[in-house]
Amino acid sequence: MRKWLALFMIVCFLFALVGCGDDAPPPAADDDENGDVVDEAELRVGMVTDAGTIDDKSFNQGTWEGVQMAARDFGLETRYLQPGGTTEADYITEIGNLVDAGFMFIVCPGFKFETAIYDVQDRYPDAKFVLIDGYPHAGDWDPVVKENVVSIFFTEHESGFLAGLATALQLGEGEVGFIGGMEIPPVQKFSWGFQQGVLYANENYDTNIVMQAENFIYEGTFENVAAGQQLAAAMFDKGVDAIFAAAGGVGIGAINEAKARAAAGEEVWIVGVDVDQYDEGIYETGKSIILTSAMKYIDVATYDMIQAELDGTFPGGEILTFNAGNYGIGIPRENPNLDPEVVELVDEAFKAMQDGTLVVSDEQGDLFR
Amino acid sequence: MKTRVRVKKDFTMSLFAVLLGMLAGALLMLVTGSNPIENFYYLFRGGLMNIERIGNTLATATPLIFAGLSVAFAFKTGLFNIGGAGQMLIGGLCATAIGLTFSWPKPILLTVIVLASLFGGALWGALPGVLKARFNVHEVVSTIMMNWIAYWSVFYIVPQYFKGPFLETESQRIPEAASLKIPWLTSLFSGSYINLGIFLAVVCVVIISIILERTTLGYELKAVGYNRDAASAAGINVNRNIVLSMAIAGALAGLGGATFYVGFASNMQIGVLPSQGFDGIAVALLGANSPWGALAAAIFFGLLHTGKGFMSAMTVTPPEISDTIIATIIYFAATSVLIERNWNRIKQYSPVALYKKVRPGGVDSTAGGEQ
Amino acid sequence: MNNIVEMRDIRKEFPGVVACDDITFQVKKGEIHALLGENGAGKSTLMNILFGLYQPDQGDIYLRGEKANIANPNIANDLGIGMVHQHFKLVHNFTVTENIILGLEPTRHFMINKKTASARIAELSKRYSLNVNPDSIISDVSVGMQQRVEILKMLYRDAEILIFDEPTAVLTPQEVRELMKIMRGLIDEGKTIILITHKLREIMAIASRCTVIRRGSVVGTVNVADTTEEKLAEMMVGRTVLFDVEKGEGKPGKEMLQIEKLTVEGTGGGHGLKDFSLTVRCGEILGLAGVDGNGQSELVEAIIGLRRANDGRVLIGGQNVTALSVRDRIQIGMAHIPEDRHKHGLILDYTVQENLILKNYFTEPFSRKGILDWNYIYGHAERVIRDFDIRAGEGAHATARSLSGGNQQKAIVGREIDGNPDLLVAVQPTRGLDVGAIEYIHKRLVEQRDQGKAVLLISLELDEILDLSDRIAVIFNGELVGIVNVDDADENMIGLMMAGGKKEVSA
Ligand SMILES: Nc1ncnc2c1ncn2[C@@H]1O[C@H](COP(=O)(O)OP(=O)(O)OP(=O)(O)O)[C@@H](O)[C@H]1O
Ligand SMILES: [Mg+2]
Repeated sequence: MRKWLALFMIVCFLFALVGCGDDAPPPAADDDENGDVVDEAELRVGMVTDAGTIDDKSFNQGTWEGVQMAARDFGLETRYLQPGGTTEADYITEIGNLVDAGFMFIVCPGFKFETAIYDVQDRYPDAKFVLIDGYPHAGDWDPVVKENVVSIFFTEHESGFLAGLATALQLGEGEVGFIGGMEIPPVQKFSWGFQQGVLYANENYDTNIVMQAENFIYEGTFENVAAGQQLAAAMFDKGVDAIFAAAGGVGIGAINEAKARAAAGEEVWIVGVDVDQYDEGIYETGKSIILTSAMKYIDVATYDMIQAELDGTFPGGEILTFNAGNYGIGIPRENPNLDPEVVELVDEAFKAMQDGTLVVSDEQGDLFR
Repeated sequence: MKTRVRVKKDFTMSLFAVLLGMLAGALLMLVTGSNPIENFYYLFRGGLMNIERIGNTLATATPLIFAGLSVAFAFKTGLFNIGGAGQMLIGGLCATAIGLTFSWPKPILLTVIVLASLFGGALWGALPGVLKARFNVHEVVSTIMMNWIAYWSVFYIVPQYFKGPFLETESQRIPEAASLKIPWLTSLFSGSYINLGIFLAVVCVVIISIILERTTLGYELKAVGYNRDAASAAGINVNRNIVLSMAIAGALAGLGGATFYVGFASNMQIGVLPSQGFDGIAVALLGANSPWGALAAAIFFGLLHTGKGFMSAMTVTPPEISDTIIATIIYFAATSVLIERNWNRIKQYSPVALYKKVRPGGVDSTAGGEQ
Repeated sequence: MNNIVEMRDIRKEFPGVVACDDITFQVKKGEIHALLGENGAGKSTLMNILFGLYQPDQGDIYLRGEKANIANPNIANDLGIGMVHQHFKLVHNFTVTENIILGLEPTRHFMINKKTASARIAELSKRYSLNVNPDSIISDVSVGMQQRVEILKMLYRDAEILIFDEPTAVLTPQEVRELMKIMRGLIDEGKTIILITHKLREIMAIASRCTVIRRGSVVGTVNVADTTEEKLAEMMVGRTVLFDVEKGEGKPGKEMLQIEKLTVEGTGGGHGLKDFSLTVRCGEILGLAGVDGNGQSELVEAIIGLRRANDGRVLIGGQNVTALSVRDRIQIGMAHIPEDRHKHGLILDYTVQENLILKNYFTEPFSRKGILDWNYIYGHAERVIRDFDIRAGEGAHATARSLSGGNQQKAIVGREIDGNPDLLVAVQPTRGLDVGAIEYIHKRLVEQRDQGKAVLLISLELDEILDLSDRIAVIFNGELVGIVNVDDADENMIGLMMAGGKKEVSA
């Protein structure tokens, strides 16, 4: 017993000793598992996940796929970390861990990182940060974007518009609803754009799609799968034909409900979000209940930023908007559940957005919340 | 005044448990194909590498100290407080509400914040105490229900009264004056989240250990905890003590909530029960339900939590596995109770005991019940 | 070689005390071997070693001539050793059968065959005339019956060597006589019995040999036929023991405890009190006799304040305390030696010094302004420990749990008498004490009386009541049967009254 104790103490002591020994980050080559690094700079790319997991079939996953794409193309070492909580301190801690481990290019998906990035842009001036869906500020929404930070926004309303238009055109007649995660700007913009798209179809293409305020709801989290399923079930029961689910894990719940109903022969649809969720919606027959998806090309944006860094053209200090104009948003290239005519009409609208003849509002106006 | 032997035994047992936890963690690392030595190296480095990280370890430990102290205190008095999470939420809510409502000078504001969170938590703890004393409702059930009441209260109150201009899901950021972080401490630990909470925690550890060891109050509370019948036959008001004990436990957790929401963090988010409330149980178990033990155990867990990210960053162990490893270490470490139960058997087969069998005459310190 | 058990040079140390100091102990097959010794002498420890609960630091155990390594009670069971502990280990809401097969079921078949078990228990019960119904629920049966269930438990496991640790301490005199009969029956069936008891009369009546232990060492083993109670007592204590209480004429003063037409509800099938009136005066010991379960517990609880009175009043020192709390009554001058020392008397996880202040920790000089004065408390504990000869390895710092049963009792008695109360409610104050300690406690009780204090003595032992009391009240079915002066009373008469036979005698 006493021997064990002594042994344990020694081990602890050793750890403590080496722990305090040197403060320099260890050489990057230490645990580099891809030997064939292309770039001399040996860029190591890190990512910190938002609440939710890396395989959330949505925001985190989209970002990580972009990072992976770049890693494959340029031979980079990558790593992601998951914060222990959802406070600013938790985020900063993980960013610090990546920096200390030599990952000097860090992608952070989500507005929740805004104040954290505000802090670390000064704390780690040598590191570069990509903040998606938000801009750094001190908690007062006054943007302060330093030279080592790029802030990326998407025009969710445009994306939502296209999805809404596609849905309305494909259904022709029926009722649609919306399930949001938290009631935050990007999600709200998805909803408002979606509503405008449906209204646009009703006005211009003679579709007859009903929308009711009670079917536009926010669950309040991005994680509660069970609640998503329940909300979707309630809506389908009320006669809703398609639900736009912009809600992370909550949306997965809605998808599960739709799959179960479709398998039982009901005709119900989900409109996916952020990434192409078609595969998510495949049920027993091999068909998918994902009508289409309102996409933000997060992966492309992430990839672009990494490439820019490698090319030496990192747009530090800027707030970028990815929209129809620069192909930052849209519906998927492949839409097995949409008729070709529908896709054509949606493409038309997309072009109109690009040349400015079609403008989608990013405000609520007299839309549902 | 307490017997030294007992303390020493608890200490050895806890170390043994930690060792067991790390062994289990190492096993898991091996199974998932990573190198335990390397992992542990980076785990501890991550928590201790520099002054900032040491500060963060302490900052992470702070709410855990309170939560652990709360569970340990209740346990010493025969009660099982599972309501740490809810009490923390209420404490945090009181603190945040005051911080966002009043713009007094920092010293006054902080005093009021600390008192408010203390009373908020105390109320949240006392309620299950009253239910137990009056209606014999088991505190495990009622504290869990109080957790959810706190959860939903925050869910509605924060967006209703304290939300920021854009976000529905969290409160505004508290002003500088309402934060337990203070500039000199932050810069002393080169930008860490360490805050006044750690001092508050140490003060509470001291106070609680004094209450338990030196006061008539502690004597009464423990007597009720150990043997309710004998206590009431001796004229101790058992019901009053149950309520009081739960109130004190709640107050501790409430303070922990303040150190978490206006110390470690700067705002309150809705829809989350702070996990520290539950980790407090493990802290208390590893700390053998003693205040100083809880302090040490919380710092150890704080170290694990802080070092975890660095471990994943430096090795190929994915974060999900690191989480599992840390949880494994924590829960194995919390089994010190089981170790205690089998202590005599462990000792019997330990080298020392075997040696004694061969060469008799040594003093054995076995304890157990008569008959 | 007819020694069925031989323990050689057994040594067991606890912190600060050598519980067994090279004890060598032999038991012959088929005998009843008594184990006698002062409180804390090491009897229970020695038997716990034989039963595998403790491991000796040194020494060997031979069973039927073969060396045995008894690592735990299961092994003891397999070797044919059974033990009835002083505090029974039964599950209260289980039936007799369920209790008996508890712990055995997984080793047999997956399905427990209760029917066969029941049948076997019924058969065993008949063979040893234990009179146990296999289907009754434990909480419904008397203490004596519970003990017989424990005995059946051993027999069911085919135990040949039966250890009884103070079996008679909790029994009524009637039950003791029945137990003796059962024991004789067991011997006739070829079993061997080791009996721990403090009651010399029982040893004389039933044992064939007796081993006396003093402070962890064997004083000697004697044939019971060749000895007397006095000799045994002397061997054990090391001096002559006075069996008769020296007691002068009492000088009863004013009323200290007055119970007026008290009515309370009973619990667990026991009797409550109906219209019960009783007065205890200063300077007298009033003995309350009665068969267990006739309302004694309810009366005591009503006096000390743990049970609400439905009707009637309780007065202490002339003050109506019916509505006062336990604490208030203690402060008026009431003390209480409880019947169940583990439940109501001690906080087993507290140290001796902590237990000794259980009633007055909040008063000066034990504490000042809510802060305990450990130095004073320690000094106080040392004094009480000395006065009442409480033997514990670590003295004031030993946990109450680590004390021997008798020493736990001495700690309670010490605490209550040391507070110098005006009224002492003593329930079975000498339960589990050795003769020397009994002598001492009796002396202290009489001393209380002589100092003008009131003592209400409640005991199941008629001897004790007859020896100590000035007046004897008898309770039956929650009602007072009558009160007699001790000089007018004899055992038969009290026995009759205890059975409910009204005998109007005024006192
Ligand atoms: N678990 C324990 N830890 C420490 N000391 C113990 C323990 N069990 C017994 N002792 C000590 O060992 C001594 C012998 O105790 P034991 O219980 O064997 O006495 P006993 O002869 O059965 O006395 P009694 O007649 O009062 O029951 C006592 O001094 C007691 O305090
Ligand atoms: Mg004993």
